[in-house]
Amino acid sequence: MKKVAIVGAGQSRYGDFPEKGIKELFLESYQDMVKSVDKGMDSRRIGAAYVGNLGSGGFQLGNMSALVSEFVGLPYIHTVRVENACASGGYALISACMDVLSGAHDVVLAGGVEKMTDVSGVKQKYWLGVSGDTEYERLAGTTFAGLYALIAHRHMHEFGTTREHLSAVAVKNHKNGAQNPKAQFQKEITLEKAVKSPYVAYPLNLFDCCSTTDGASSVLVCDAELAKEFTDTPIYIAGFGSSSDYLAIHDRINTVTLEGTKRAAANAYDMAGLSAKDIQLAEVHDCFTIAELLACEDLGFCEKGKAGQFVEDGHTQIDGDRPVNASGGLKSKGHPIGATGTGQAYEMFNQLRGTVDKPARQVRDAEIGLIHNVGGSGGTVSVSILRR
Amino acid sequence: MAHVSVPMYWRTIPQRYRMVGQRCRKCDAVNFPPKGVCKYCNASFEFDEVKLSGKGKVHTFVLIGAGGAPPEFAEQEKAGGMYPVAIVELEEGPKVIGQIADVNPKDVKMDMPVSTELRKVYSEEGVIRYGFKFIPEELSR
Ligand SMILES: CC(C)(COP(=O)(O)OP(=O)(O)OC[C@H]1O[C@@H](n2cnc3c(N)ncnc32)[C@H](O)[C@@H]1OP(=O)(O)O)[C@@H](O)C(=O)NCCC(=O)NCCS
Ligand SMILES: [Zn+2]
Repeated sequence: MKKVAIVGAGQSRYGDFPEKGIKELFLESYQDMVKSVDKGMDSRRIGAAYVGNLGSGGFQLGNMSALVSEFVGLPYIHTVRVENACASGGYALISACMDVLSGAHDVVLAGGVEKMTDVSGVKQKYWLGVSGDTEYERLAGTTFAGLYALIAHRHMHEFGTTREHLSAVAVKNHKNGAQNPKAQFQKEITLEKAVKSPYVAYPLNLFDCCSTTDGASSVLVCDAELAKEFTDTPIYIAGFGSSSDYLAIHDRINTVTLEGTKRAAANAYDMAGLSAKDIQLAEVHDCFTIAELLACEDLGFCEKGKAGQFVEDGHTQIDGDRPVNASGGLKSKGHPIGATGTGQAYEMFNQLRGTVDKPARQVRDAEIGLIHNVGGSGGTVSVSILRR
Repeated sequence: MAHVSVPMYWRTIPQRYRMVGQRCRKCDAVNFPPKGVCKYCNASFEFDEVKLSGKGKVHTFVLIGAGGAPPEFAEQEKAGGMYPVAIVELEEGPKVIGQIADVNPKDVKMDMPVSTELRKVYSEEGVIRYGFKFIPEELSR
């Protein structure tokens, strides 16, 4: 069977950029990607582009992938906007892999872009709370902070997870993000500050939440047979998987498990011939601190209910035995919805090649890494395993 | 606002006003809110209508504060402070999300018994939307 390789990856800065729209942000990430292709590349070889985007703001809901593609010099290709809420980018990557594996195209762009800070805070929340089961969850008066708070509270009730466990995730991710020149929040926070920040949706407080972010990311994948034409150090996609779940939390079998994560991971592990213990580092979807705890459990890094302790004990620090979110994660790096998944791939590509921009963030000698992207509160999940 | 049109709201009135669920003819489980195919057996779309008691207990809850409320509920938060939203496990089996009314948020507890009443939920397009809310059992008559 064919294999897929990543031969280039780029990311825009993440943050609040009034001077840039979706086209300019996408261009920034695309040019960064082109620069990363060691032996150079001719854009005419790109046969398809899959672009993740939720459409926050609603200003380019139709044909947006054609628009951003032609803007960066890729007219006349097969291009599709991929929308699975916050997992759009992860699914764009998987779509690109499937395209290459099918033989339809041999060099394909996967990317994502989101412009979230153009609209007022009120409008922003209008766009954010629309990826759950709107008829029930939204009309009960929740946005995503509220939905993840429902999960967090039950997790605390069933397993004794504490306020400090949640904040430990935020402190670690801000520590890592402080070393990421492209992150939205490049500053460390203390545990005390994180614990005491104001409640947004009790039990979750401001420092349990990701923010709203502008940003874009681009990843170039190709048939592994062609990889050496682009670089001597390609990164291979050893496996990928995805799974949907009931959209509304109240419909799910279990409130404190993301079944989508478990199933997406099982598919990816199976395809790669690997298991959780083989994963040396991961970029996981920490849109809220509780989400990182769920990810550690549901990806199989630790036992169900034990992730709080797992994080507190330092296993997931950059110098721990299983670094998680060395980039700073969504919490500190920022979460430009549609760009997040391929942004994780950008980080992992550099981690595995040893080319992270700041040595303090580089995990040493890693060969196998996993990226995990969640849509909404778990309605869609994608997992990919990257290997040197 | 997450735009929920009047007709869209209207279609869910049997659930919102009377808590009408579906009993699966194949596996006997109760689906609420309704599904196209029974979510317990995934094998049947034949149901009998069943009116739920509206009684249950709090499975988990959140207190929505400033910044956590969607725009259409921001006014409620501003006027009354944090408001509780729960997932309640109904006595017939299914779980469902809804607000808890008539309670000091500090007094909401896990596993607390609740029943349901018809209340104002919010207003959009100049139309007040009504639906069930949960009320602590000790307060309901
Ligand atoms: C957490 C949240 C509610 C805060 O919104 P808000 O109350 O309107 O806060 P503001 O944007 O006014 O920011 C207030 C301050 O906190 C800072 N801030 C905002 N969010 C922050 C975060 N998540 N972490 C750290 N600091 C944050 C801001 O920079 C600002 O600082 P300043 O006053 O020095 O400029 C909002 O960022 C949010 O909705 N996040 C979730 C996004 C989301 O749901 N994404 C999809 C996930 S599935
Ligand atoms: Zn059934």
